[in-house]
Amino acid sequence: MFPEKPELTISIPSKTELLKMIVEMTKHIAIINQFPQAEAQKIALALDEAITNVIKHSYKGSMNENVKVDFYCHKKGLKIKISFTGVPPVLEKIAIDLNKMIKEKKKGGLGVELMKRIMDSVEYKTTGNTNTCEMIKWKTPES
Amino acid sequence: MKHFHIRSKLVGNIAVIYPKGHLDAHNVERFEKEILKQIGNDVVNIVIDCKELNYISSAGMGIIMGYLDEIRDKSGDIKLSSVNERVYEIFDLVGFTEIYDFLQNEKTAINKFENVS
Repeated sequence: MFPEKPELTISIPSKTELLKMIVEMTKHIAIINQFPQAEAQKIALALDEAITNVIKHSYKGSMNENVKVDFYCHKKGLKIKISFTGVPPVLEKIAIDLNKMIKEKKKGGLGVELMKRIMDSVEYKTTGNTNTCEMIKWKTPES
Repeated sequence: MKHFHIRSKLVGNIAVIYPKGHLDAHNVERFEKEILKQIGNDVVNIVIDCKELNYISSAGMGIIMGYLDEIRDKSGDIKLSSVNERVYEIFDLVGFTEIYDFLQNEKTAINKFENVS
């Protein structure tokens, strides 16, 4: 359904200071793609979470790596694919238990859950040295 | 240009923290430092007033989550006030609204602490 070629591709250094720029840009792309403002902000947050995880876990905080982000636009939705190297992500298969996390004084672990709850699908893959995270958000009839 | 600011004030034994702007993984350390400062000063009744908070990612929510147990163990609590609709939706998505008190404004949150003590 989505075009083979992305509508837009950007490559950014693995620096958290660029997260806000990515969020603003993604929000803009989603709005252009006819998502309501509130949905657009959530989609941007999902990408913020995905890139934050890459910087934190796959690149262990190194600022010298790169993250590639492809945006695929379709009248029915938006697909965002991020590509990165580094340590392949290991994801929890079960939904989070907030009370347990509070008891365990955890400060992390909410990001992927947020991505899953915001987007209609979130899929991680590793092929050779390259990891990808593909997220899709479909438009609702009201969009 | 800084996209995130933080300030706080004490109202009796209650700390009111005002995060402002865009809270993400880049600036979360300053938010954590503020919470730690209050705990370090034995202030465990904390109101996070979000009237000027436009954006929060899981990094910021993780800090609110990570210190709650310690604060409640010391008979304190974290309450959130003046959260705008969009930010509230994000808190709600991960279930924070079932665990934390979300109050309409700072005054109501402070009163809620004062009525307990």
